[in-house]
Amino acid sequence: MNFDMTKPLPEVQPWSARFWEGTRQGKLLIQTCKACNAIIFYPRKACPECWSDKLDWIEASGKGTVYTFSTAYSMVEPRFMDELPYTIAYVDLDEGIRMMTRIIGCDPKEIKIGMKVEVTFFQREDFHLPYFKPAKG
Amino acid sequence: MSKGKLAIIGIGEVPTRTMPERTRWDILYEVCMQAVKDSGLHKNDIEGTVIVSPQAQERLTGELSFGKLPEELGLKGVRDSVVINAGGASTSNCLRMAEQWIESGIARAVLIPHVTVHSTIPLPDVVNFFARAGVDLQWEYPYGSTYNIIMGMMANRFMRDHGCTEEEMASVVTALRSWASRDPNSIFYGKEVPSVEKVMASDLLNTPLHKRESNITADGGCAMVVVSAEDAKKMKRPAAYKLGESVRYFSGSPVMRDFDKVAEGFKVTAKEAMAQAGIKKEEVSIWNCYLAYPLGHPIMAEALEVAPKGQAGKYFLQGRMSFGGDIPWSTIGDAPGRGHTGSGVSAATYVETARQLMGKAGERQVKNCTYVYQNTAGGSGFNNIASIWGRE
Ligand SMILES: [Zn+2]
Repeated sequence: MNFDMTKPLPEVQPWSARFWEGTRQGKLLIQTCKACNAIIFYPRKACPECWSDKLDWIEASGKGTVYTFSTAYSMVEPRFMDELPYTIAYVDLDEGIRMMTRIIGCDPKEIKIGMKVEVTFFQREDFHLPYFKPAKG
Repeated sequence: MSKGKLAIIGIGEVPTRTMPERTRWDILYEVCMQAVKDSGLHKNDIEGTVIVSPQAQERLTGELSFGKLPEELGLKGVRDSVVINAGGASTSNCLRMAEQWIESGIARAVLIPHVTVHSTIPLPDVVNFFARAGVDLQWEYPYGSTYNIIMGMMANRFMRDHGCTEEEMASVVTALRSWASRDPNSIFYGKEVPSVEKVMASDLLNTPLHKRESNITADGGCAMVVVSAEDAKKMKRPAAYKLGESVRYFSGSPVMRDFDKVAEGFKVTAKEAMAQAGIKKEEVSIWNCYLAYPLGHPIMAEALEVAPKGQAGKYFLQGRMSFGGDIPWSTIGDAPGRGHTGSGVSAATYVETARQLMGKAGERQVKNCTYVYQNTAGGSGFNNIASIWGRE
């Protein structure tokens, strides 16, 4: 059976390129709207609240809270099997947006809803995916 | 009482199985001919075909979108033919399209078929289709998310907020399979119903989802013939009348989906559909829920106020939603009991709604079945369409 084993890279849109550039500099950038002050995730071409094109970026603190998670032990795509077990989570950033991410840096059994986490970056080819690890202190 | 304009007067279905020797067109012929015969109409009375998009079957989608079905079946009266895709909500939208054609006078009788043959699609293609379907290719897919994982995340949060135990979650499978074991069209027909212990003892795929809480891909198909409510009454045949409907959109990508907004959407759509039908929750004979995974059922049961907050898991564990229980719930066993035929599960759920109201459900027949609540949801759950169906 011939499975495509290539690891997928984010399919970048012109308006999200700045986000991925930021990750290369170790920064987690969040898109904002200068017209209505919306905090936007994921990045869009126009503000999803007011359709303004006056968009900007702020640097997130990188701190967040696990909203929910699930640790995978099997039945993922063959291209991800070498990474099992791994934990996918929704993390609520302190700035008020929710991201899908991975939780690393601890035993998956220690991961809990409400756990404080902080960003770390995981390199895959030219991309630095924002992952999260348990927050210090 | 009812403002219903549409009625299902014919149904056809083949058993859901893994049967690669049964081709897609073989199934289409079978289910369409059964449904037309069941309606009492002649094939040339069919004036429109509205087809549920066959997910992951590119060539067949092309053939059907280019109008092959009426030609192949020799439906000489057909004036128009379309394919409709809104993921799992496709069947609801096929019915809406048919309703519009009937109301505007384009067609008096419309045929709505669906077919899935997963077993002849190369496994890597099936795996790849389901891994990417509905998942954002920039913000979700690169992390290694899957439907199972997304459902697992929803379940973990629900279990924590609503005090639902692992055992209670596992009992949903037992309930669904108890119905499926008595349905000749289910892949689990006549098979042993797994106990809660057995479900929990199966391999952990991703927390909190066990292998038996997931579902297997399968082949199947079904069809319906619909006419106006007025015509159905004149025909004096068993029929299922559409009495009310409501819908809410949530979000396209799972990461953007607000869990509370989804639960609220389940609740308001049910209320609006019931208000339109002029009925109360207490009058619903069957809650026919299409949620694809067992994990969604306690969430739905609480949102629909069939069970009070924090009690849905207990209701399932007590067997109240099982075959023989006091709350008839998903009487084909949803996707975990039926085998996953893509959008075919929602089509099969509609056929079951009609079958129960027509009094043709055999061993599963719910006594005095008067009103059925039936929902569908699209894609990975981008919306919820609630509808109420009745005997007249
Ligand atoms: Zn704005």
